Amino acid sequence: MTSVSRTGQREDVPFVARSTETGARVEASSANEVIAFYRRQQELLDTDLEWEFADHPAVTEAPDADSIDAVLRALDDYFESGVPLGVLAAAMSKQGWTVGDTLSEVYELRMSGSLWEPRADHLRPV
Amino acid sequence: MTRWNANNDEVAAVSPDITDETNALPAEYFTSPDIHELEKEKIFGQYWVYAGHANAITETGAYFTRTIGDKQVIIVRDHDDEIRAFFNVCAHRGSKMVEDTPMTNPGNMGRIRCPYHMWSYDLDGDLESTPKSFEEAGLNPDLDDEEVCSLDASENGLNEVQTDRIGPFVFLNFADDPMPLAEQAGTLKTELEDMPLEEYEHAARYVSEVDCNWKTFAGNYSECDHCHANHQDWITDIELDESNLEVNDYHWILHYTHDEDVDDELRIHEEKEAKFYYFWPNFTVNMYGTADGYGTYIIDPIDEGRFQLIADYYFSSAEMTDAEQEFVQTSRQLQEEDFELVERQYEGLQSGALAQAQLGPNEHTVHKLHRLAQEAYEA
Ligand code: FES
Ligand SMILES: [Fe+2]
Repeated sequence: MTSVSRTGQREDVPFVARSTETGARVEASSANEVIAFYRRQQELLDTDLEWEFADHPAVTEAPDADSIDAVLRALDDYFESGVPLGVLAAAMSKQGWTVGDTLSEVYELRMSGSLWEPRADHLRPV
Repeated sequence: MTRWNANNDEVAAVSPDITDETNALPAEYFTSPDIHELEKEKIFGQYWVYAGHANAITETGAYFTRTIGDKQVIIVRDHDDEIRAFFNVCAHRGSKMVEDTPMTNPGNMGRIRCPYHMWSYDLDGDLESTPKSFEEAGLNPDLDDEEVCSLDASENGLNEVQTDRIGPFVFLNFADDPMPLAEQAGTLKTELEDMPLEEYEHAARYVSEVDCNWKTFAGNYSECDHCHANHQDWITDIELDESNLEVNDYHWILHYTHDEDVDDELRIHEEKEAKFYYFWPNFTVNMYGTADGYGTYIIDPIDEGRFQLIADYYFSSAEMTDAEQEFVQTSRQLQEEDFELVERQYEGLQSGALAQAQLGPNEHTVHKLHRLAQEAYEA
């Protein structure tokens, strides 16, 4: 379940992001729910999302590299069947990337055949 | 007597008599995924649903998209200055054609083109052109070019969706033979059209996802029995005793009287009151009475347990003054207070303990909401 934060914030949610435009926050139990929230917002508003918080060991351990390819290769060890797009986006936020930045770069890479998407919104290096 | 599930009390359809015990929709109508699916057809597929504001698309070819249930529609201004709507679905093999385009950041196109095989359509939906490969049979050894039938422009055009307007508000209807918008809106149409709503510009949009059924929030919007306890800042300027809630066929109006006279400049309408209009199924117009502008809400279900509140604000200029910004913040405070309430109510409803709620005598607007839902399910 996702929710925009209310006054009584829940503390147990591992993934939190906020809209750059309106400040609306999303708190989610999985990183890909943040991506789903981003897409729903995008349909209604020209906005992007910044990560506030991502409590996942893969994100904590992700290298400080300004390249999707390098980060994806490092994250690949943590996941059996593809790195969730949201986890990759959270890892890239350590370089200041917004969710929109990551999604458009992933799209470019995928369309050039440099990324593999074994199932929807899960990525592996080629 | 309260109808708890544990007592195996029978639930009943919403009684038309508000003094009856079974005057509310049974709780399962708020929590069932099947009902969510049913509503796509029986509610959002039958009644006039708000699409967006005409001022967002003033030029020929300007468009935005709007998704209602599983259906996405392109709303576009055509060459005759008419606003039309089409399913965002290609007549060739059904591809989605244009990207999601919010009303707040509209696009502009000379024609509607499908990126898959490049069929393109006029702004009135007629098929305008197809690539050569649809006119000749070059790759098919069993067909001669002469055997290829040409495609009639209007017979192979886009699937149009009915639109109509109340002032600048554009509505859609997916039903084959719907009641006219004027009938669904009744006096709401004349009342809103008496105000110069089209003179105002879109200034801000907030989209919030809330963890409850859309009807839970709709019910909260529609009554003010919760205001004293929960909107203390707002309530200080309101004379609740003199306020009243007016119910019509498919809309209801919450009249909140201000206790002191507000500067006439700060109101669009005549009366010294805030007027909140709820228009079935999921649109509201908020005439605040303390701002030279107005707001609208769209209460869009995501699933049975979540909805999006799309809050738009209109002022004389798209650039808000400090006072207007402050006003929007007050409005946002009200929203957040209400989100807290409805999420808490929904948590309670989801526990399954309560089989059917009971409405008070001043919740006649909520009663109307529940009756319309019941009527739609049974239709
Ligand atoms: S599906 Fe649109 S052109 Fe083929
Ligand atoms: Fe409220």
